[in-house]
Amino acid sequence: MPTVDEFGEQYKGNTIARRWFLQQCGVGLGATALNALMGPNVSAASTDPLAPKKPHFAPKAKKVIYLFMAGAPSQLEMLDHKPELQKFDGTLPPSSLLKEYRAAFINPNSTLLGPQFKFNQHGQSGAMISELLPHTASIADDITIVNSMVTDAFNHAPAQILMNTGSQQFGRPSMGSWATYGLGSENKDLPSFVVFSSGAKGPSGGAANWSSGYLPTVHEGVLFRSQGDPVLYLSNPDGIDAQAQRDTLNAVNELNREQLGIMGDPDIATRINSFELAFRMQTSAPDLMDISQEPQHILDLYGAKPGESSFANNCLLARRLIERDVRFVQLYHEAWDQHGNLKKGLEKNCKDTDQACAALVKDLKQRGLLDDTIVIWGGEFGRTPMVQGDGADGRDHHPNAFSMWMAGGGFKGGMTYGQSDELGFNAVDKKVHVHDLHATVLNQLGFDHERFTYKFQGLDARLTGVEEAYVIRDLLA
Amino acid sequence: MMHLRIPIYTLAVSILGTIFSMTPAQAEDRDSHWAFSAPTRTALPEVDSSWGRNPIDQFVMSKLKENQLKPATEADRITLLRRLSLDLTGLPPTLDEIALVEKDGSDDWYSKLVDRLLDSPHYGERWARHWLDSAQYADSDGFEKDKPRDVSSWRDWVINAFNADMPYDQFVIEQIAGDMLPNATQDQQVATGFLRNSMINEEGGIDPEQFRMEAMFNRMDIIGRSVLGLTVNCAQCHDHKYDPISHADYFRMFAFLNNAHEAMITVYSNQEQTFADQLEELIAQQENELKSQHPDWQSRMREWEETIGTMPEPKWSVLDLEFDDSSAGGQKFLLQEDGSYLAQGYSPARNQTKMTTTTDLKRITAVRLELLADQNLPRGGPGRSIYGTNALSEFALRYSTEGVAVKSYDKWKAVKIASAISDSNPPQRIMGPEFPLRDPKERLIGPVALAIDGNMDTAWTTNVDPGRRNQARYAIFRLEKPLKITDNMELLVRPSQNHGGWNNNENQNNNMGRFRISVTDSEQLPEVAVPYQVKAAIALPETERSASDEKVIFDYWRTTVLDYRSFNTAIDALWAAYPNGTTQLVYQERSMPRVTRVLDRGDFLSPLDEVKPGTPDFMHAMKVEGNPSRLDFAQWLVSPESPTTARTMVNRVWQQYFGRGLVETSDDFGTQGEMPSHPELLDWLSLEFIENGWSLKDLTRLIVHSATYRQSSAVTQEQLALDPKNRLLERGARFRVEGEIVRDIALSASGLLTPTVGGRSVYPPAPAYLFLPPASYGTKTWNVDTGPNRYRRGLYTFRFRSVQFPALQSFDAPSGDAPCTRRDVSNSPLQALTTLNETLFMECAAALASETILHGGRSDQERIAYAFRRCATRAPKAKDNQILLEFIEKQRERIQAGELKPEDIVPEIIAKDTEVAKDDLALWTLASRVMLNMDETIVRQ
Repeated sequence: MPTVDEFGEQYKGNTIARRWFLQQCGVGLGATALNALMGPNVSAASTDPLAPKKPHFAPKAKKVIYLFMAGAPSQLEMLDHKPELQKFDGTLPPSSLLKEYRAAFINPNSTLLGPQFKFNQHGQSGAMISELLPHTASIADDITIVNSMVTDAFNHAPAQILMNTGSQQFGRPSMGSWATYGLGSENKDLPSFVVFSSGAKGPSGGAANWSSGYLPTVHEGVLFRSQGDPVLYLSNPDGIDAQAQRDTLNAVNELNREQLGIMGDPDIATRINSFELAFRMQTSAPDLMDISQEPQHILDLYGAKPGESSFANNCLLARRLIERDVRFVQLYHEAWDQHGNLKKGLEKNCKDTDQACAALVKDLKQRGLLDDTIVIWGGEFGRTPMVQGDGADGRDHHPNAFSMWMAGGGFKGGMTYGQSDELGFNAVDKKVHVHDLHATVLNQLGFDHERFTYKFQGLDARLTGVEEAYVIRDLLA
Repeated sequence: MMHLRIPIYTLAVSILGTIFSMTPAQAEDRDSHWAFSAPTRTALPEVDSSWGRNPIDQFVMSKLKENQLKPATEADRITLLRRLSLDLTGLPPTLDEIALVEKDGSDDWYSKLVDRLLDSPHYGERWARHWLDSAQYADSDGFEKDKPRDVSSWRDWVINAFNADMPYDQFVIEQIAGDMLPNATQDQQVATGFLRNSMINEEGGIDPEQFRMEAMFNRMDIIGRSVLGLTVNCAQCHDHKYDPISHADYFRMFAFLNNAHEAMITVYSNQEQTFADQLEELIAQQENELKSQHPDWQSRMREWEETIGTMPEPKWSVLDLEFDDSSAGGQKFLLQEDGSYLAQGYSPARNQTKMTTTTDLKRITAVRLELLADQNLPRGGPGRSIYGTNALSEFALRYSTEGVAVKSYDKWKAVKIASAISDSNPPQRIMGPEFPLRDPKERLIGPVALAIDGNMDTAWTTNVDPGRRNQARYAIFRLEKPLKITDNMELLVRPSQNHGGWNNNENQNNNMGRFRISVTDSEQLPEVAVPYQVKAAIALPETERSASDEKVIFDYWRTTVLDYRSFNTAIDALWAAYPNGTTQLVYQERSMPRVTRVLDRGDFLSPLDEVKPGTPDFMHAMKVEGNPSRLDFAQWLVSPESPTTARTMVNRVWQQYFGRGLVETSDDFGTQGEMPSHPELLDWLSLEFIENGWSLKDLTRLIVHSATYRQSSAVTQEQLALDPKNRLLERGARFRVEGEIVRDIALSASGLLTPTVGGRSVYPPAPAYLFLPPASYGTKTWNVDTGPNRYRRGLYTFRFRSVQFPALQSFDAPSGDAPCTRRDVSNSPLQALTTLNETLFMECAAALASETILHGGRSDQERIAYAFRRCATRAPKAKDNQILLEFIEKQRERIQAGELKPEDIVPEIIAKDTEVAKDDLALWTLASRVMLNMDETIVRQ
């Protein structure tokens, strides 16, 4: 955070009145001071909406990295071990299961397809993890696998939006926005909610996945590019060197200070501050992105290669962001929609992501960052135990049971939680709904999800919606 | 610095009392809630004060006095000029306009200025953008595919309506039920595009009804928040928690809207319409000429009619089809009452969907494929392409008696098709670039023979010509020899649709839209496929035929006569020149009403009791006997008796001029909304609005002529502490302009602005990667405009919902995911990066530099004054000058020293069009950039 003194350095020809505004009105410590003056119930337009804030109770975690496996990975080939499904391979599912079941692409009355990869026990905990995920297997004791996830949507865009915002309807705030809204930002040089996208496509819901919805727009996720300028318009235009940019900023800010003296509008002070932050971001963001600063063994750990655009690089960047106290980092890897080409597709996707996911957890752990950082891994729904496609090598969308894992931030490592039935069709034991996941993550960030609200259309709107949602205490250490 | 506990703290506490009294009245009886009874006129408050210009000020002064406050002084003339220009047109005044106002010595300079601005076509643009927000307008479908849509006709309708000062009641009626007005014009149909700003999901595997319902909920939300100022959507799943809107009330209102086709009509511009009319006249002339040259035409036609009457009429048996999931790939085919299937949801650019069936016939001799028109298809169909047409690459029929799996297509036995006839047989031609392939190759479309020629690169098309393509067509495929149907025989029909483009996420499909497949066992098959409407006309006794029936017969018959070939060729050529028009998503009332049921928890799979259209009891009554329609609903919404409609719009107009509404929650006048700061003023304005014929321009005139509006926006620390949000209106408003206007100001100040009003949305510079995976789900087209469209107002920038335009997004432009009646006004570093570094802003800096050098005088001071006024309207003060002079001097030295490279600084697109010397241009580009980045430049104060 800039201090008032830093500003004083660049500030010339001040008067008492102007100094008062600079100090009081949204610049540096001023916002806090203004709040103190006005009392907690009046927030002037100028108070910094990203100032660090305290949650409801002492948080276990302060930061989140969400590895969003968009397209929906097959739990049956990766984390939910279903030996019985193999026995029923080629037979039709019991009709009782199909009652009121709606499938996206297939006729639900399609034959079952046994798991296509082998599972083994891993770690002290003996977690069952498939051969596709040797690296994830190596962190089995650090992660909490949930095999009883359920969701309400079975089309990509609505399901991704639901997973991020708690609603299938567009226009609601995402979890990352809620986190920065509730906790503010502890890094003023970078956006507090950063998004990366890798894989074959972009996320199905597009920008609505990191929307601030009805929360103030400053809480919107900022899509970073993993190559070139991470933030749009970060680089100076051609021909403008650092000095010319600094001179420009000085002139702009001086002119703005003149106006501030005349008009007295604290928003002018905020604008001056924004220009300074922008200038600092121009240095801090490229520094952040320069993974060539990392030692070779760290690059190797992730499988990251400087200059490339990859999920592995994004994982490493996520760690660098978390080190810089960025609140919420979300990595989309959209490649998991295996309606066909299940085996080869999964092999490729796991090769592209498994090592980096595990490396991220290990790296955070070795740096002591895992304790207060939640890592979430998962897609928007699961895949059918029934086969799809002429080649018997695909699975359709399935909302009734799927798997995710979490690590760090007070989640209990080395645990597999919940169960689907023996065919992997329905979650049957210890169901975890998307809203429950949200409630649990918010709990770790220090929020009672029922009280963590924003007034919207006359309602106290919340991430977990109007239905009952539960913090899954058993998942927590 | 934390110890500035100045005495204002105590004062603040007393004023806060006033402000807190405006928070929701939790305990208030919801039936007596202030906003649920119609506005009432109260006597103007008696205020003992010389201040004030119209009754608005009396209300404001009265409140100020209550709080022992005084109004601010009036802003100076230049500030008012800029304020009015930005408020009314969203553009800053030009130097000429500044001079005009400065020179105007008359007493009514202000009124003249207001009138001039209200007459500007840019007034409509500025107000349209606000309405677009509240209707959640965007240029794409949203959801995963987020395909581009053409809805600029509706956007232009809104602009024109504001410019014409269409009464607000009419404005709402036409948008909600324009199609139901007597003899609805094209414009009135376009107006219903308001209801089509909802998103459309064409992701593979969706249930179309689920997302039709989502769109319906969204329409209710938009009408609730934008028109009624009520959160009706809170009653979507259960009774409204706070307001007296029951769950059943919600669906009673829903029922008004639930009876429409989601249509996409062809829209012709005035120019196109005139041209089309001329073409039709020329066609009529040709026909008349034909008739006069061939006086025996009528008797020949009657003879021909006889032959049609004796043509064989096979009996067709309609097939129930089962669609193979695998090859359908997530398409949904909805069975219609007539046995046809309507394709909805996902439409892959190319596909070979396998359809299986059985028949009770003992043998079949021919298969008929009917392609039917439908209002839910683009331009009315019969296809799903952007033209509402389709192309059938190959048509195949196979059979199996051994229960062969559908996936083993090759094991099914092929049935040879000998010949095909159709009523759509356009000449063979090369397909256009609308359906691009990654590896381009020549593909042909044309007559029906191309569907059975064994060549996947040639196709039968319904795309005859732009004037005649959107109608039902059919083809009959005659089998080489009759297929004997045995027990257990399954039939497999596979229409290959290989003539779409490569991109499933853009509008590149060329698929059938609504189709019906039938078989016959008849030996007697017709030789030619006479169009159905011709057959129907012929079937009528001559005495019962209308002129248009006769025309239908003649139009077709003449094409069958060889002697008339030269006429026919000429007429075809005229039809081929018919304009394409653009398209617009609209609402069209269905003739068959849908049944509306209350949906348990808003879930479309859980219908409860049927409801009839109706309105909530706590609102004003709907005085319609019998079955009220959507038009009645529209009229009810804007009834002068409505308690919230006028108040809602008046409040939003106020909000746009003061930064905040009299009711801060401008989309919620319910019991949970904020109380109005000046309830009597809001009512008084609302009644004035209604009594002045719902004129928005008059309302604006009234507001901007108040002394309240004309106050200076300078604020003192005391005022800021006492009333930080200026809810008591003791000063003028000061706020950063909307994102579009941030750009418009830069464009206008630089002279680059292309002021054209209306037309298709445009593609200013944006980073290409945003529109490609993995940033975007699919590959989107963004061909950056290099001509005048590069510099259109921000309003016209193409808006994808899933990929927002960065320079607007960072300035809080809404994404189109939900209605927005009041934008956020954030202030972030990303905004600074945008105005400093973004491509277009840099071009504006260079263009302003060029203008400044050419027209701004010779000295640095003169030039500063010139550029400064173009940005901020006012003249620079001494200190401003000094800051800029120092900046310029330093940059001049750096350029001279070779530290800065002029050729790098000035964007080529600007440099190539100006004669100005490079060094000078670079220097003034840097200086202009400073002035364009001033807070004042993007603020209205």
